[in-house]
Amino acid sequence: MPKCTINGQEVEVKEGATIIEAFKKMSEDIAHYCWHPGLSVAGVCRLCMVDVEGARGPQIACNTVVREGMVITNQSEQIKDIVRWGMDFHLINHPLDCPICDQAGECGLQEQYMKFGKYDPEMGLQKVKKRKVVDLGERVVLDSERCILCSRCVRFTDEVSKTNELGIFNRGDRSEIGTYKDKPLNNKYSLNTVDICPVGALTSKDFRFRQRVWYLKNADTICNGCSTGCSVKTYYNEEGLFRVKPNHNEDVNGYWMCDEGRDLYKFANKESRLLKAKKFDGSTWEEVSAGSAVKSLSHQLLETIKETPSKVAVVYTGQFTNQEYADSLKSFDGLGVNNFYHWMNNQASKDEFDGLLIRGDKNPNTKGLQNEASKFSGLKKLENLFNELESGNIETVFVMAPENISAYPEYESHFKALSKAKNFIWMGANQTSCYESTNSSNTYLIPLKSYVEKSGTFTNHNGTDQNFNYVTTLVAGALTLSEAMTLFEGQDLDFEIRPKIYKTMKNNHFTSDRGEL
Amino acid sequence: MQVKVLSEHYDKPEFQGLEGYKKLGGYVELEKAFKMDPKQIIEDVKAAGLRGRGGAGFPTGVKWGFLPDNGEPRYLLCNADEGEPGTFKDRMMMERAPHQLIEGMIISSFAIGSKKSYIYVRGEYDESIRILTKALDEAYKAGMLGKNILGSGFDHDMDIYVGAGAYICGEETAMISSLEGYKGQPKLKPPFPAIEGYLGKPTIVNNVESLAAVKYIIRDGVEGYRKHGTEKSAGTKLFSVSGNVVKPGNYEIPLGMPMKTLINDLCGGMKPGRQLKAVIPGGSSTPILTAEEAMKVNMDYESMAEFGTFLGSGAVIVIDDSNCMVDLLGVLMHFYHHESCGQCTPCREGTGWLNKLVASIYKGEAKMTDLELINGISNHMMGKTICALSDAAAMPALSFLKKFREEFEFYIREGKSKVKGSSYAQMHH
Amino acid sequence: MSYVVKQPDQLSKWYLPGILKGLGYTFKNMIKNIFGLKKMPTLNYPEEKYKYGPRFKGSHILTVKKDGSLRCTACMLCATNCPAQCISITASEHDDPEVEKYPIKYEIDVLRCVYCGFCEEACPVDAVRMGPEWQTPGLGDANFTYDIQKLAYRANLKGGIQSSLDDKERHEAGI
Repeated sequence: MPKCTINGQEVEVKEGATIIEAFKKMSEDIAHYCWHPGLSVAGVCRLCMVDVEGARGPQIACNTVVREGMVITNQSEQIKDIVRWGMDFHLINHPLDCPICDQAGECGLQEQYMKFGKYDPEMGLQKVKKRKVVDLGERVVLDSERCILCSRCVRFTDEVSKTNELGIFNRGDRSEIGTYKDKPLNNKYSLNTVDICPVGALTSKDFRFRQRVWYLKNADTICNGCSTGCSVKTYYNEEGLFRVKPNHNEDVNGYWMCDEGRDLYKFANKESRLLKAKKFDGSTWEEVSAGSAVKSLSHQLLETIKETPSKVAVVYTGQFTNQEYADSLKSFDGLGVNNFYHWMNNQASKDEFDGLLIRGDKNPNTKGLQNEASKFSGLKKLENLFNELESGNIETVFVMAPENISAYPEYESHFKALSKAKNFIWMGANQTSCYESTNSSNTYLIPLKSYVEKSGTFTNHNGTDQNFNYVTTLVAGALTLSEAMTLFEGQDLDFEIRPKIYKTMKNNHFTSDRGEL
Repeated sequence: MQVKVLSEHYDKPEFQGLEGYKKLGGYVELEKAFKMDPKQIIEDVKAAGLRGRGGAGFPTGVKWGFLPDNGEPRYLLCNADEGEPGTFKDRMMMERAPHQLIEGMIISSFAIGSKKSYIYVRGEYDESIRILTKALDEAYKAGMLGKNILGSGFDHDMDIYVGAGAYICGEETAMISSLEGYKGQPKLKPPFPAIEGYLGKPTIVNNVESLAAVKYIIRDGVEGYRKHGTEKSAGTKLFSVSGNVVKPGNYEIPLGMPMKTLINDLCGGMKPGRQLKAVIPGGSSTPILTAEEAMKVNMDYESMAEFGTFLGSGAVIVIDDSNCMVDLLGVLMHFYHHESCGQCTPCREGTGWLNKLVASIYKGEAKMTDLELINGISNHMMGKTICALSDAAAMPALSFLKKFREEFEFYIREGKSKVKGSSYAQMHH
Repeated sequence: MSYVVKQPDQLSKWYLPGILKGLGYTFKNMIKNIFGLKKMPTLNYPEEKYKYGPRFKGSHILTVKKDGSLRCTACMLCATNCPAQCISITASEHDDPEVEKYPIKYEIDVLRCVYCGFCEEACPVDAVRMGPEWQTPGLGDANFTYDIQKLAYRANLKGGIQSSLDDKERHEAGI
């Protein structure tokens, strides 16, 4: 464990660690573009220059291994001057079209220019013209003029996705990122290149021009796209969710996530959500608030269920939190119900794994469901329920429907098949057209919260419990499964007032500065 | 006067073929070397003070000593990608004495224990490739290459690899990338090629002339080789003299000879009626010398360093007073802009910027402050990149501006060259 | 606090002198205005209208390019800078890669607008200006959310005001 001194402070780093890693460990500022902790060292941006005592000249921090007793600084005037010029070299052919660039606001050039820039541009000559708005693949657009050729994206496709679609073509200042004609950037992890692009050269087609990033807030959560459970950051504002990006989590997903997971914010947005509870009595649909729907459901069915619990079936999917499973299983168990069914969407492919992140089980919490259910009467296969329904043994069916319905191709057919029950309660987050075709003359559709609207725990494929927190509210009236069961049991919801909200509320400057008006 | 060691038999056409080469004393040293201890050869090369003839002048024996003793296969690469503007000594060697190179390479391979070597030839050298290929065939047929060479028990294979004509591939790590089948771009150092080179194995890259010289160190012994040259610059070296002299060409002289002798005596001096204005001593990337300096400097590593320049690849470009320095810098900057590989930002952007700035001078669009800008850019390109191409572009720009600033100022002020009849700018328009 | 109420004097008890004094003042000014119309400090609004200086910040104008299309690049800096949050823009991808981004919706809610001119200042491409018009009345059903059509191409602008900044010229100059 060598020790070194960085800008006057001593730090101990791992054997073989580079100087830039030591800087990161110290949270010291150091300019860099090409270095990324998840990729190999390229050493081409030449910005992370440092002075090492005793060395011949300035060294790049990303390719110099820390040795015992090194005295390193990037605060000397010489280094600052080198970095200022290095920044200028990056900018002379950059189009500076920040107003129309999606990266503006989270751009490496903008941020580092403010910290390390030269501030007196001397380039007054014709810039190099390159291709703009190049379609690289299904999800990514390239603007070659903005590119600073840090080669992060190229190294990503070489080293992480191992698909090798990208390359740097041509030489010198005519160099451009590109793909071969017959091989577009269509791998399952392609949007990571957009994340690691320090400038606005690679932009996501999905997010392109939809929002300026400074209008978005972000919060951390867990991706619910598959049983890997990547740590992600969701970006949202009052209009809804806009994008999902990976968070660094060494134990689960490293720095990356798959493209599929980035689309999952869409089902949580208002447009595809069930906004109000709906009641169908055989002839007409009635829209009510979720709470009152559950209350009336409780009035109607609670006693019947208590009398004949064996005629009740509860269908679970692996898309809820451990807490919700525990609460709902407990209350059903309390009512005497012990017919719990597991609706597994992809039985055949559930153990598949692509070697990086994507798993065949498209539910975030299958493991959690199994764990919780094993504490009660266990889970039965859903196919059995269809037979029971046919024979009339089951009269009441509760379905805890999935929210990520793109992973459930059988969603509509199962809805129709299960709605053959006399009393049919469908709890889910999504709005689809199939609800109209219910077979039951006593149908309840209860809107539930999506994964960004609640806190809880997912247990991923290898049994790791991952907690996540509430992000934002998208549908005001929706309930969690736990809340729905509390109401169903006839109790009232105990609203927890979030102290967080008060903490983040700022004083009104007008009143606080001027005193009482 | 010339001392012909490497170029002794250049004028004899039969020296090209194996038969003639053997008749004139070829492959004798190979047999002699096989009887020596490989480590002794390395020691001899170190002791003889042979310095890399490709440009950097790094001691060859020391380089060989860097090889790790880990039992991994090793490679010897011969750098015949002679791209430095003004240099043509290696081409002549490959065309006139291909076996001399092959023999030098076998001896060197034997010394470092390499079983495979490559000659990386510049793509434009059609004739050299043809002649080398023929020579290689002959050598294989005669048992100089392949299994159990000359009954010594040493196996060695040699191949020719033809580059695609990129200047950057003359840089050793870029050459290795190119040879591996990647884009010819320099690799980060460390690790150095001697530790991790071609295919990740220890690799030695030497210039054509350095490898051929090994043969003569074996022939003459350390003392014999050191007979010529100076203490720190031992032996003889080939110089490619080009430009405005009466007799341009390749000259082999002992290191340490005054440049004055080389230009005035060997090359016949300047063309009639012309004055010496400047000399680029070691290929286009070395800082330029004024006429005055050129008359004082000696052709060796130390003396060149004294004058702030380098011996480089030995390409002496002699410039007379009919040339406009702005034009010349324009040519050079255009070359480096074209040849920058584009990996490191300071070089990729800097070469382009310098090229545009110099071009703007002869387009009449430059300001006086642009000269300071050229200085600033060049200073911040020096030593900031993976390889030395950035320095190679910056050094001439700095030295031209320092030594001929008044000519640049005249061009900017008057919008025309100080030298009458200079044509490059018009050509460029 | 004490104060004194001044009692009206004897003459004021007769109201007529005061009235006549006032009428005299009115009559004096009437004569003055009839014979010196130009010096009159008031306007006969709405028949006559005051002309403000060129810097007056009135109704917004979206400028256009030479070909008549909108200059706005939908960078949303005006909306970001707007203290009244009355600007809403929806951006979209333009067919021409040189233009790249343009607004398909640009709306200003002028009833919320405080006419501060911050949008004009924030604009990097001279796309939004505050023009000289200030009379923007409307009846109860009038739409005070101005759209692109109204902001850029209303009749008063006679086909649109050209922006001082041209992308084509900029590209040709290599900036």
